[in-house]
Amino acid sequence: MQLLTRTNLQLAAYGLFIVVVMLLPLFMDVFWLNRISKYLVFGMLGIAISMSWGYAGILNLGQGLFFGFGAYMLAMSLKLASPTSLAQGSDEPVPDFMLWTSEPGAPIDLCCINQGSFLWIPFKEQWFGVAMGLVMPTLIALVLGYAMFRARIAGVYVAILTLALCLLVRLLVIDAQPLINGFNGLTDLGWFTVGGLEFDPYLVETYYLIAIITCLVLIGARWLVNTKVGVVLQAIRDNEERVRYLGYDVAVYKVFFFCISAAIAGLAGMLYVIAAEFASPTFMNIGFSISMVVWAAVGGRWSLLGACLGAILLNVVEATVSETETLVEAWQLIIGAIFLFVVLVMPRGLAGFIQQGADWGLDWLHQRVKERRIR
Amino acid sequence: MADVFFIGLSLSSILLLVALGLAITYGTMGVINMAHGELVMIGAYVTVLCQTHFGLHFLLCIPVAFVVTGAVGYAIERFVVRRLYGRLLDTLLATWALAIIIQQAIRLEFGAAFAGLHIDGLGPGLQNVPIPSFFRETFLVGDFVVQPYRTFIIVLTIGLFILTWWLIFHTSFGMQLRAVSRNRGIASCCGIDDKRINAWTFAYGSALAGAAGVMLAGFKTVSPSMGTPFVIDGFLVVVMGGVGSLFGTLGSAVILGEVQGWVASLLNDVLARAIVFGVIIVVIIIRPQGLFSRRGR
Repeated sequence: MQLLTRTNLQLAAYGLFIVVVMLLPLFMDVFWLNRISKYLVFGMLGIAISMSWGYAGILNLGQGLFFGFGAYMLAMSLKLASPTSLAQGSDEPVPDFMLWTSEPGAPIDLCCINQGSFLWIPFKEQWFGVAMGLVMPTLIALVLGYAMFRARIAGVYVAILTLALCLLVRLLVIDAQPLINGFNGLTDLGWFTVGGLEFDPYLVETYYLIAIITCLVLIGARWLVNTKVGVVLQAIRDNEERVRYLGYDVAVYKVFFFCISAAIAGLAGMLYVIAAEFASPTFMNIGFSISMVVWAAVGGRWSLLGACLGAILLNVVEATVSETETLVEAWQLIIGAIFLFVVLVMPRGLAGFIQQGADWGLDWLHQRVKERRIR
Repeated sequence: MADVFFIGLSLSSILLLVALGLAITYGTMGVINMAHGELVMIGAYVTVLCQTHFGLHFLLCIPVAFVVTGAVGYAIERFVVRRLYGRLLDTLLATWALAIIIQQAIRLEFGAAFAGLHIDGLGPGLQNVPIPSFFRETFLVGDFVVQPYRTFIIVLTIGLFILTWWLIFHTSFGMQLRAVSRNRGIASCCGIDDKRINAWTFAYGSALAGAAGVMLAGFKTVSPSMGTPFVIDGFLVVVMGGVGSLFGTLGSAVILGEVQGWVASLLNDVLARAIVFGVIIVVIIIRPQGLFSRRGR
């Protein structure tokens, strides 16, 4: 049996990544751990983009929509859990911003303080928020994906549709001032709690919560794209017509992976809320959604690990150079230049570059081994 | 009634002004130029710079911006877009990267910020462009208040639309352009220099963005990030109207502008934009080929 194969090297890279992520708390203080945990969340977004763009050929320029939905669903639960929501002069928790805009004399209760506030009632249960954070993005992806892929809309049109939907929802969120605090978003949140353990963002436990989930998502995604379903999906990306003639229902496969990608983004949104303690309509900005695509492209869109690492590394470098003000602007310039270079010269990204190098190395090694045997 | 209609028409004309350039580059060349908004922004900055440094008259800034952004567009085609023909989605990403680079170049004053220098009219701050006084004074026609500047934008947009239409359908250049956009290989076999045609088409589309930028500078604050919303609006207009259909772009710009104007007068601005996006999503799902297009996707 050959030990040094391409697949084994890839698996070794995944293993190395997981080991490094798990050992980081030994070398860093909690401040940096909190930062890194946010970047791990962005890494999950990279995985989601790689899955839909790299493996399914669906360029989603509105991934922020799913991220934002996940974030808002959990943030609503955590908002109700915060001490200020309990201190509004009622036995039941009521978000403080609702009182700022409520009509005089309105009862301070979620049932009827304003027209939409009853929607918040089930969010008193934290796990309802968690469930919704997964269900809502998946549901939206299901409806949108079904409408798009049944009508055989592909390529640029998908990009434009997802972009438009993301902008649409962002505007609705901004407009919904009484319901979810509009432009200002949800701040002053409580802590995510599991069985008495409060996940303060500046705790090692919180880092591990996020790190373990990220690693599980990475492993799960890697497993999924190598199952038969995943292989059919890649065939669809490469030649949709041919797969259709072979008798596969192309739309179902695309919708399925579109939903998985949305669910991962929703999960990432929730973890981001835990680490950053706010949710805001900026999550649905176009710039943010396109940044995710940039991370995946630089890391390598056809590699889940590459896209994930691309997101993490670009953000780490950005955080380190952002200490001085002119460098921040210059860094944006450099990002633009790197991105342009990657698109023009190495469309496979960093992962593709490394892969190619490893392939050369393996070929050379096997050649040498063969020569020695002949001798 | 007439007021709201006029506001809608005014919004339409701005949409059309931005979308016209995109209709050329996307509709006929298949290039998704995400840097189009930045070309609009360059047009606006040309106005700022011409006025602060050379004291040029506002109206004279239009041809200057037209030429400058045209040249920038030509360079973009030569050095970036040309390498990506046939990779449609990659042009989207590459031009987005260019958009970032152009924005940062303005913010960093083309590198002067590093040397501690400052050029008036550049940098990350906001700029204002005064418009000539005869554009500011409204006058009455019957009961109707005429805003000269808005009217001028509408007239100029119609003028540029006619110029574009004439260029595409009534000149030898336009005929070659249409041939290249139908079938690049056959066109070049017939002796058309397709690279030259594409470069000049891209330059013309960019130049239109520059003209739009001058007009926008007159009533919006000029800043490095001003262009981004326009490129997205412009795209949605082109796609909804039908790719490759000049009159489709005109039609969808008028529809979207009027929808936005009316909803804004009945509800509010934010919801008006949301409803515009909703209309576009529904149209693309139901008629992906666009409202006014006869040619398939």
